[in-house]
Amino acid sequence: MKIKKQEIKSGIKLHTINTNRFKTNLVAVFLAIPITRENVTFNSVLTSVLRRGTKNMPTQEQVSKELENMYGASFDCGIDKTGDNHILKFYLESINDKFLPQTGEKMLKQSIEKLLEIVFNPLVENGKFKEEYVEQEKNNVQRRIEGKIDNKAKYAIERCIEEMYKEQPYGLYRYGYAEDLSKINASNLYKYYQELINTCKIDIFVSGKIDSDISNILEENENIKNLNPREPKYVQTATIRKINTQEKEVSESMDVTQGKLIIGMDINIEDEKQKYKVSVYNALLGGSATSKLFQEVREKASLAYSASSNFIRHKGNIIISCGIEIKNYDKTLGIIRKQLEDMKAGNFTDEELENSKKGIISAIKGIEDEQDTEITYYFGQELSGNEVSTKQYIEAIAQVSRKDVINVANSVSINTIYFLKD
Amino acid sequence: MQLIENLKLEEKVYKEKLENGMTVLIIPRENTQKKYVIWGTHYGSNESKFIVPGEKEATEVPKGVAHFLEHKMFEQENGTNSLDVLTALGVEANAYTTNDHTAYLFECTDKFYEALDELMDYVQHPYFTDENVEKEKGIIGQEIMMYDDYPEWRVYLNTLEAMYHNHPVKLDITGTIETISHINKEVLYKCYNTFYNPSNMVLVVCGDFKPDEILEEIKKRLLPKEATGEIKRIYPKEPNGVVKNYVEQKMEVSMPLFTIGIKDIPSEEKVKKHIAIEVLLNMLLGRSSKLYKKLYNEGIILAQPSLEYEFTDDYAHVLITGKATAPEKVFESLKKEVAYLKQNGLNENEFSRIKKMIYGGYVKEYNDVAETARMFLADFFKGINSFDYIDEIESVKPEYGLQVLTETFNDNNMVLSVVKK
Repeated sequence: MKIKKQEIKSGIKLHTINTNRFKTNLVAVFLAIPITRENVTFNSVLTSVLRRGTKNMPTQEQVSKELENMYGASFDCGIDKTGDNHILKFYLESINDKFLPQTGEKMLKQSIEKLLEIVFNPLVENGKFKEEYVEQEKNNVQRRIEGKIDNKAKYAIERCIEEMYKEQPYGLYRYGYAEDLSKINASNLYKYYQELINTCKIDIFVSGKIDSDISNILEENENIKNLNPREPKYVQTATIRKINTQEKEVSESMDVTQGKLIIGMDINIEDEKQKYKVSVYNALLGGSATSKLFQEVREKASLAYSASSNFIRHKGNIIISCGIEIKNYDKTLGIIRKQLEDMKAGNFTDEELENSKKGIISAIKGIEDEQDTEITYYFGQELSGNEVSTKQYIEAIAQVSRKDVINVANSVSINTIYFLKD
Repeated sequence: MQLIENLKLEEKVYKEKLENGMTVLIIPRENTQKKYVIWGTHYGSNESKFIVPGEKEATEVPKGVAHFLEHKMFEQENGTNSLDVLTALGVEANAYTTNDHTAYLFECTDKFYEALDELMDYVQHPYFTDENVEKEKGIIGQEIMMYDDYPEWRVYLNTLEAMYHNHPVKLDITGTIETISHINKEVLYKCYNTFYNPSNMVLVVCGDFKPDEILEEIKKRLLPKEATGEIKRIYPKEPNGVVKNYVEQKMEVSMPLFTIGIKDIPSEEKVKKHIAIEVLLNMLLGRSSKLYKKLYNEGIILAQPSLEYEFTDDYAHVLITGKATAPEKVFESLKKEVAYLKQNGLNENEFSRIKKMIYGGYVKEYNDVAETARMFLADFFKGINSFDYIDEIESVKPEYGLQVLTETFNDNNMVLSVVKK
């Protein structure tokens, strides 16, 4: 295996992916904890504050200058929901030493150290974060939360998921809540941070042409030395049970030219194997240009420009989304329901089934050609506690049968139909 | 075949101009599973008036034909749709239209040659009927409406409309529901036959290929066609200066979106100028700049605006796009900063630091087969060899930067476009 996993301390893992496919090295640090209404806004502000400055690079300007000098090493951070976990993500991408104009610069080591510095050695003044940074970032987070409405297609999907998971962790908005921002200050955010980094699950990924001992670099790193071993609490995402709910319809009005129709569906996930079957079902239903939805809604009925479905594998949901003319709501919904029934009845050809599998297999083969995708793939496995090589993954998809897909189709139920209109 | 090599990057490109006038670029990549092919024609939304080789009179067609053609190329006479056929093979196929070119592409890990059969077959076999043209108007109409809801798209188009008096770059690539209503199969065939001649086309492949083998495979899939003469492209005369300095549209957005456009004149030194403008934009508004820090600390902007330079032989402009609580403050302070730099010159350390960053950005473009191939195609239509960016960056000095700053960054040529509630 070219991926190697080592536990640096209890709850802190290093994953190295040795590959010569890229001109770059990519280092990632992921912090994972169960998402709650209490911590979601804290996590959101925290992620933003950390990029503002560190003990040794106290301003954003200094951070930027350092990175520019490292041939435009790019730092990025983000926040995601994976299952019922909130993941704080930090990345640093830099050019591999081989492709630098000058030789002798140790870019990978520098990159690892810089990223660890940003995540684990923030600027602290009088036992708290710098007030100015916290206030500014609270402001920014507020804007980001308000910005939810800007992309109508994404907004509609987000709203559908909220309706499906009312009062539940997965229904929380990943950037948090504006009304909770006033509870956050430089002092309690720092306390929260200290607790977080000493209790959360930490995964460090290093991908690239690696010719030095990364675990050695980590073990000698002061910021890693200062972290406690921990028994991290996080939600494993292997099995997902759904409670049958009544199908509900929700509609909302906004200033839009095109209506957005979103249908959220539930599927029980018994084991990892089931996820492969659902992947194939999803590909047939709306995962590609040959899928039922694309063909029937867009190509045959000319009702939409986009019509697709997406499988949220860590939660056992399929989300169908279409952009349609507002007056065509009933007609489109009718066609979609017909497709779901057709899938249950096995109204798809063997050829369509094989084509869907081919599409998935091709995507799996491509995983190793994208550095961040490969990291996300292995991190997903880390969270579900299931280790499958891409080769095994491909075999598992190839084995999915017509019967498997029909079984999945009969276990799918509509949870929420959401419509954004004018 | 001509071999173009870049030693710094350890990259090679094989270039061949075929007898029928078509250019093939082959970029071999060992170690990758993904293979990518893109076939483009030097024909985009800007071409609505032209003289067909061999004819005397100019032809004028409705706006949006290039994009309409792109949509319709997939449909085949035997009732199949090539996009479906390609997807069924497990490859990821797509097509797109820009201001100056249209491209058909796919990416795959397996079945490359089967997919290449289909790609090269459908691009060479147009099939338009009155019925299938009418049906497409519905789908494209939905696409136009979808874009109407994107504030990002509106703020961009409004910028171009404020900068250009006549040049077609200011028009929506898709055309409008009105213009596409005038498209019929005759128009489509006329444009196809004019612009999809091999002498107006380039094919780029990137992946684990042997150059000689892949070249033969491409050649044997080409229909016999003769190179035609030059297509005369007619653009309306574009006066200097902008139409207006400010444009605003109301939309439901949480925070105003803005684009600052700077209308420029195309330069002979395309690559060098492009690099200089990238350095300047980053010195002015990049993450380490004084102005960015000020605007961020005042809560006016949340993130670094995107900084771009778009150009062909026929037009050129800078675009600075972002979100701001007060876009006019960004606009005014940018002008002030430009004036300050013009007066005080460019700091050499800063200039070389930003150049290092930009060098890294260029190297990263070679990570992915798709990105590399698309870059070579788009640059080719501009008359550029993509490696030139890596080779020429060293020669871009602060003195030249200052010269470009003085020539291009003029208040009179700047426009501000805003979308807000």
